Amino acid sequence: MAGSHLSVVIDLSPSQWHLSSLHQPYPLDISAFISQLLAFLNAHIAFKHENTLAVFGAFPGKSTLLYSSADPPAETPSNDANYFPPLKLVDSTMMHRIVQNLETLTQNNGDDKAPSALVGALTKALCYINRLTLEFNAATTNATEGLEPLALPDSRILILSVSPDQTASYIPVMNSIFSAQKLKVTIDACQIYGPDTVFLQQAAHLTGGSYIYLERRDALLQYLTMAFLPPPSVRQTISVPTQDKIDFRAACFCHKNIIDVGFVCSVCLSIFCQPVPVCSTCRQVLLTKFPFKTLQRLNAARSSLPSSPSQPRNSSAPSSPQKTNGRTPSRTEAPLGPGGLPHSGSISLNNSTTNGAISSR
Amino acid sequence: MPSAAHVDDIDDKDLIQISNKPHALLPFLQLQSATSLSRLYQSPSSCLSIFRLLDALERQLVMNLLWLESAIAQTTLGVWVFQEKKKLYDDALDMLSKLHILHIHSAKLSLNGTFKTSLRHAITGGGTTGSFGVPAEKDEKRPPMDVEGLDAYALERWETILHFMVSSGTGQNPTRPSQGVLYLLQRSGLMSNQHGSLPQITSAGFQFLLHPPHAQLWDLLLQYLHMAEERQMDLVEVLTFFFMLSTMELGREYLTENLSQTQKAMLDDLRDYGLIWQRRPTSRRFSPTRLATTLNSSSPSLPTGASTGAGAASGSQQQQGFIVLETNYRVYAYTDNPLQTAVLNLFVSLKYRFPNLVVGSITRDSVRRALNNGISADQIISYLITHAHPQMRKFNPLLPVTVQDQIRLWELEKDRLKSQEGYLYTSFASQGDYELVRDYAKQLDVVVWENDAKRCFFGTLEGHANIKSFVERRGVGGDY
Repeated sequence: MAGSHLSVVIDLSPSQWHLSSLHQPYPLDISAFISQLLAFLNAHIAFKHENTLAVFGAFPGKSTLLYSSADPPAETPSNDANYFPPLKLVDSTMMHRIVQNLETLTQNNGDDKAPSALVGALTKALCYINRLTLEFNAATTNATEGLEPLALPDSRILILSVSPDQTASYIPVMNSIFSAQKLKVTIDACQIYGPDTVFLQQAAHLTGGSYIYLERRDALLQYLTMAFLPPPSVRQTISVPTQDKIDFRAACFCHKNIIDVGFVCSVCLSIFCQPVPVCSTCRQVLLTKFPFKTLQRLNAARSSLPSSPSQPRNSSAPSSPQKTNGRTPSRTEAPLGPGGLPHSGSISLNNSTTNGAISSR
Repeated sequence: MPSAAHVDDIDDKDLIQISNKPHALLPFLQLQSATSLSRLYQSPSSCLSIFRLLDALERQLVMNLLWLESAIAQTTLGVWVFQEKKKLYDDALDMLSKLHILHIHSAKLSLNGTFKTSLRHAITGGGTTGSFGVPAEKDEKRPPMDVEGLDAYALERWETILHFMVSSGTGQNPTRPSQGVLYLLQRSGLMSNQHGSLPQITSAGFQFLLHPPHAQLWDLLLQYLHMAEERQMDLVEVLTFFFMLSTMELGREYLTENLSQTQKAMLDDLRDYGLIWQRRPTSRRFSPTRLATTLNSSSPSLPTGASTGAGAASGSQQQQGFIVLETNYRVYAYTDNPLQTAVLNLFVSLKYRFPNLVVGSITRDSVRRALNNGISADQIISYLITHAHPQMRKFNPLLPVTVQDQIRLWELEKDRLKSQEGYLYTSFASQGDYELVRDYAKQLDVVVWENDAKRCFFGTLEGHANIKSFVERRGVGGDY
């Protein structure tokens, strides 16, 4: 039986960690975080002889591999009779590389404000698991026989994030989620500091993982152990917390805003915050026609409702969709003839209040 | 890479069975007293190894409780468990408390204090117990044995033992393992010495040969533990040393100085089994082999496990599996390993041998010979499954159903007659007498067979005393 693989993506944005260490009533600074994280990683390694681990760090503007049990560093740690050698290796390698990366960051100062490359790290984690899957299949000679490649059993990704959503990375995040589904990889997410993130909630939900918004930051290790340590096989017996409410909102392709009501191109399913005559993704002038009459009716109905208070980031949701914004990527103000095609339309993406309730039992 | 995820039903079922069975060492540990266990738990490496031998659910429960300072209510942990899996959870708690890892006190759960401290030390480092072995400084003049050398050494030692067992009584004279190993084999009942000077393999020994290598190793070590008890060795020290070995690093040398007297004495035995390597018997350094360092991997050693001791211990050929079985009962084994050929010879009648291929067929006679040796049909089938050639893995089910069924039928054939000791009650004076005694015996549920026409019935051995006194009482009473 194979061990389970865990890829951890950690958000190491110095500015966010600074804010986290000042936050009341449960401050958590980066050194306390790393020591608890190392205990968690060691617990994973100790869990089973065959367990494997990879750690990816997301620094502002770049992401790197911090530790991988597939290719351990050449230098072995010094002799210690009191510490299990594989665990010592994890600890020393991780600390060394984190410090190294943070130092290079301070040398190239000024870049500190760049958002942390969480998506880059996530993509790297997926590529890494894909590589393991290929190796696994090569070993069982399935690939050469032309059989369906087997998914790596019990592999998962854990994202530990402290940054808010970067709306610009909506498309890469969704693509990562789809690849994770295809690889049968579970994505767990833990938002340690900062606002709830929409994208990580969706990632966890769509891949069958667990999303936790950490309220008691002083109990980080206990949260990590109880919710994220059990491999998928154990989760059939011990439940892990899942979300009651999932924010299913998407970001529009035109302005990268998270929107409540969006307009979807009938050809390529691109999402826009405002109706556009020409889809900027697929450029299908003739087919992308939004039914403006339906829209007007919808809008009339919407205006009678109070605007939803739970969407603070929804600042640029269109109040009147008919008005064409100057920033739309459309080049031509194509006249929309009567009889808009019935297969294009607007969808409400704000599912969180209607059917997003999913309980753990 | 293990072949766990195969599409085969039987394979899956076997794996589930394996995963549900607790590790062979755990029942032994349960028998130990609380004091010896708490002495054992003082060493972080022992805690870590025992932790790894536990079931996945038990491991998760231990981890959940590890970082808590105070006891928590049983219900608090219970709500995390799915209702329909409650039994697994209760079993897990039961197992942990039998091992004295978990204290259940007035519906509150807490970990054994010693175990908790040691496991925390194992995971975070620290402490001064030195339980992971004191590594030796690099010696420039005499570099340590490399990993390949250690693997070859362990393999050679282990196969010597197995080959000696399998070829005993066949007239061949393989290399004899050392006296200590022979003694262990006899003590454990795997071989017996009654038929003369040369030890003969017993039926337990035949079954042992078909076990996966990892289970074989633990079987022998368990026997060693039983023997240690008789030799007045300190069991805790023996166990601590096993666990220390299992957490050591392959290809590194360790010093013998910090070992206790018992543990130093064990070095000789373990060298014979191929668990450790020493340059000279008196050397102050030793290197654990792969057999030792994978002791705490709880996974069954599948033949494809290139990175586990199993793969090394059973030959490089076996890493991919080597047996092809056809529906016409033909067996093609791509191997030139004498041990594997000898094991196959237990239940296959071999026909041809080529440099890398052995051909034979499974016949009624060959299977019956194996059955008479005490090997069961299931063991034959599971051996064939675990060692199936990759080409075979494309089929579902993996082994031809006809062959599987036939092997099972041959086993049933053996069980056509069942013998039972007992007494035959005959020559009753009247039908009334007969019915009275028979009905009494039926109430006791001791009647095996009856024949009303002949007025006789057969009762079991246990019922005889009762029936006899009943008949005597009735006789004295003079009712008839």
